[in-house]
Amino acid sequence: MRAIKAYDTIVIGGGPAGLAAALSAFEAGAETLMIEREKRLGGILKQCIHDGFGIIRFNQALTGPEYAGWYIEMVKKRGIPLLTKTFVTEIEQRGDGFRLSLVNSSEGLYQVISKSIVLANGCRERTARQIFIHGSRPAGVYTAGTAQYLVNILGYLPTKRCVILGSGDIGLIMARRLTLEGAKVVGVYEAKATPSGLERNIVQCLDDYDIPLKLSHTITRIIGEDRVEAVEVSRVDQTMSPLKGTEQVIECDGVILSVGLIPENELAESLGVRIDPRSGGPYVDQSFMTGIPGVFSCGNALTVSDLVDYVSETGKYAGASAASFVKDLPAQELIPIEKNEADFLYLIPQCFNINAVEQRLILYFRSRENRENVQVKVLADHQVIYQQRYQKLIPPEMKRIEIDSCPKPLNGIRDLRVEMEEGAKCES
Amino acid sequence: MRELTCILCPSGCQLQISKSNGEWTVNGNLCPRGEVYAVDEMINPKRIVCSTIKTIYPAVPRLPVKTSQKIPKEDIFPVMKVINQVRLDHPVRRGEVIVAKVLGTGADIVATADLYYLLEEEGING
Amino acid sequence: MSKLSRIKKKMTRLFGTAIECREWRSSIVLEGIVNSWEQVVAAGNLAAGKGYKGVVNRIEVKGLPTERIRKPDWRDHHLNQRRVDVLVIGGGIIGSAIIRELAKWELSVLLVDKEGDLAMHTSSRNDGMIHPGLLPKPGSRKAYFNVRGNELYSRVTKELNVDFTRPGSFILYDQWAMKLLYPLIKLRARRNKVKDLRLIGRDELQQLEPGLAPEIRGALYIPSAGVLSPYKMTIAYAENAVANGAEVSLNTMVEAMEKKGDEITAVKTNRGKVFPRIIINAAGVFSDVIADLAGDQFFTIHPRKGEIILLDRKKGELIKAIYSRPEFNRIKGSSKGGGIIKTIEGNVLIGPDAYEQPYREDFTTNRENILALLERFLPIFPELSAKDVITYFSGIRAATYEEDFIIEKSEYVQNLIHAAGIQSPGLASAPAIAEEIEKLTLELLSGQKRVKARVGWNPVRKAIPELSKMGARSRGELIRKKPAYGEIVCRCEEISRGEVIDALQSPIPATTLDAIKRRVRAGMGRCQGEFCTPLLIKIMEEEGFDIMEITKKGNNSYLLLEETKG
Repeated sequence: MRAIKAYDTIVIGGGPAGLAAALSAFEAGAETLMIEREKRLGGILKQCIHDGFGIIRFNQALTGPEYAGWYIEMVKKRGIPLLTKTFVTEIEQRGDGFRLSLVNSSEGLYQVISKSIVLANGCRERTARQIFIHGSRPAGVYTAGTAQYLVNILGYLPTKRCVILGSGDIGLIMARRLTLEGAKVVGVYEAKATPSGLERNIVQCLDDYDIPLKLSHTITRIIGEDRVEAVEVSRVDQTMSPLKGTEQVIECDGVILSVGLIPENELAESLGVRIDPRSGGPYVDQSFMTGIPGVFSCGNALTVSDLVDYVSETGKYAGASAASFVKDLPAQELIPIEKNEADFLYLIPQCFNINAVEQRLILYFRSRENRENVQVKVLADHQVIYQQRYQKLIPPEMKRIEIDSCPKPLNGIRDLRVEMEEGAKCES
Repeated sequence: MRELTCILCPSGCQLQISKSNGEWTVNGNLCPRGEVYAVDEMINPKRIVCSTIKTIYPAVPRLPVKTSQKIPKEDIFPVMKVINQVRLDHPVRRGEVIVAKVLGTGADIVATADLYYLLEEEGING
Repeated sequence: MSKLSRIKKKMTRLFGTAIECREWRSSIVLEGIVNSWEQVVAAGNLAAGKGYKGVVNRIEVKGLPTERIRKPDWRDHHLNQRRVDVLVIGGGIIGSAIIRELAKWELSVLLVDKEGDLAMHTSSRNDGMIHPGLLPKPGSRKAYFNVRGNELYSRVTKELNVDFTRPGSFILYDQWAMKLLYPLIKLRARRNKVKDLRLIGRDELQQLEPGLAPEIRGALYIPSAGVLSPYKMTIAYAENAVANGAEVSLNTMVEAMEKKGDEITAVKTNRGKVFPRIIINAAGVFSDVIADLAGDQFFTIHPRKGEIILLDRKKGELIKAIYSRPEFNRIKGSSKGGGIIKTIEGNVLIGPDAYEQPYREDFTTNRENILALLERFLPIFPELSAKDVITYFSGIRAATYEEDFIIEKSEYVQNLIHAAGIQSPGLASAPAIAEEIEKLTLELLSGQKRVKARVGWNPVRKAIPELSKMGARSRGELIRKKPAYGEIVCRCEEISRGEVIDALQSPIPATTLDAIKRRVRAGMGRCQGEFCTPLLIKIMEEEGFDIMEITKKGNNSYLLLEETKG
């Protein structure tokens, strides 16, 4: 019988969140193990060969593999225990920790235990079916991420003439990538009236290559038996329902979908972690601990970020918090962070641990609608502890607020809220 | 006056640029880099090109690369042609130059991933 | 008035002079041109049940394009001049079950299917329910074969190593009507030999299934209803047949038959000519086309589509069994219009609905139908939501106008047997239908040769191991023997590289992405293959496929179109 190995902190996922979490947990002195299901570390960054990563973290625009490369080298240099090609099949909470069942080729199915775990599982893409595309089911319909893997890692074009549905960033990036590799992108169709991706990607991925962006349009039918032969696109109304009589058939051999990302929280859910339907990830406090003590969440599993810098940041703090969880800390006592649901698409963390020793508070949020000239205030016990004015807030852009010094200690407060006010109400 | 979106960072500032007496005036930028970008964009728009090159290793058939600096927009496709012709037959480190001074643009084609590491993860010794 | 003139009179009343009716052998043939497919079906239904053996409906619709049948896009001589005792046409659940039973005997058995894999039509496009047999009309072939088939599944699934459970079927009611109908239902159950059904009150039901909507007053419970994976069952049947000497030839389309008198002498396919002693027509939605090639078309298939929705396995914990809720105001008898099922894999399945369409291979889904299914069934379990949908698809029932199975020796072609018009509950009936066809085949052959039992016939099939369902020790042991079992490639369904390789090396090997999916479920989970597709492509390449030739489902369904930097 093998002795079960015990760790202080196990990080699940070797993408940008997990890498940062493992590094910070290890540096905080925790006996750390990182588990990755693929052969290589780096998560989705492996295939994101375009530049624009790390502007905040490294103050330069790196490509995905470069950004990941820096972290991978750090993890290797530190000698952080690491299991690749290893899959976590189950996590059980037991007594003062967690028992993880792992499967890999060299050991079979076996168990390890840990006092805390960091879930850095990333996200997956919404599929054609989840957005109710109809018609036949030919080959040639790919999510942008799958197409990206096929082109960038395997070196094959899955389409030579395609329509892209959805204006998410990966879709825009793939429009440029496919064009550079010799495919024709007929157009990007977006059901919403505003683009989902960042403005800069519309400029450098679509405008630079004269690829049209059609807002308020969607694919209503996929045509073709074996391989995609055409799609039918239609205009949609404000409720995104297709308008009869606006159908138009476009010949193409492929459809690339970029219609949203879903945080992967199957392991979290199996543990009973409560999920915030708005952020798509677990409810967490300011240390990124979920409702289950000892279970932390970070990166795109926590909420889908548009910047990898924030993914790494949540990973870093989740890792450090998981490492300190091992020590005896005062018991968690949570209050909700109040906000007006009409203003915020979501706000992370959703709750605040008033017994936390750490005084730093980082908030991430998205506005529900496009707003201009807005004042965002953070109030502790009805006293403003932070305010920031934004010229423009749009849902595709996640904003970050860091409060590291506060006029009053945050522990022991009874009320914490974040408010959004039109700028006009403030002094000019 | 022309309007454009700055692509240097996710803020995506809406810039207004106009010329009078041979001088460019830029508004709407949150940082000084936006001003440089706007003027460049008017005179000689440039971009970093990211792509992959073909390797001889079946387990890692493509290696990601980029231009070491921005190149003029009109050179993007000619540079892609050069990139597409490369056949990498040896491992390289991240940042290593694969094609120097491509098409006289002054930019090098450099590896953005470590092929030694990728091959090692595939169980192949470079 | 004769039955023909009575039908003619009604036709004239409804369609004027557009439709002509005539008798042919013991069937009725309808011909003419009408304006819509609904009219075609209405005319067929009108002629049904009037005392003819079958309705041959050759009515056409003005301006309706003819269907482009999916065909293998190549020809070879693989089967040239092959002499076999039995040729089975159609590799669905029926054809596969038949060759498995025939493989018990010292016979050369060949099954052909025009698709690149088995179970490509209705057998992979249904709800996987093993019906108890209450619904078919007493005395019908459906009723007999369904109840017998249901019974046989306990043994067959064990022998063939296919997961099967009997969670039971609950016919939910929220009106008192059920109490009034119950004596009638019991009578029907007795006549169909369906056992152990009973009424369950609200309290017991809520205890059994706490997630049910509170307004549901009770249920009629039929314990014998089961679930299994219909395509795994089909493949299992065929694999066991192959292991016992039968042969399966895929991508093989029957194009013509040569006859001498009332006997078929040769069957032409795109892969060469076959000379069978006996031909078995198990061609599903094309069974009337095959009958026609043999000069024995006494029935017509009118395709009846059903759309089906699959929800995430996460929600599988909410429900335990099979639920339906008949709408008493519009019971029509042909289909009870679907329900909610916990599939054998643990997903929640909703559907199928039922509607007529002219095309036999039009598997498109439609927004309105899918939304209607959700609207109708989600409220039964309030915790289910449209957000849980991971995929939807459709299947086509091979309905005849008589709405009953055709399981018989041809009356006019000496060496032809029909297993045709097999629609719901065809899956549930398959083992019994196979048994019957086996008997008929032996009867036909008895005049020609002495048929002996096969020496060494092995009824047991070894399945591809499902590692995610195994305990630590046996899983570990398998991984030690074959390390690829320890490498997970499909994260949603926890399928290993080893299982994918097994599918590629199985007795009827998977040759497409969809075929892998049907055998080992890789790509069937909530991400619908977005992560594992490239990995599966890579594994197929390593197993000897040319990467550019890899397809989703055969023919031109190529996954990759060009190498970059080639």
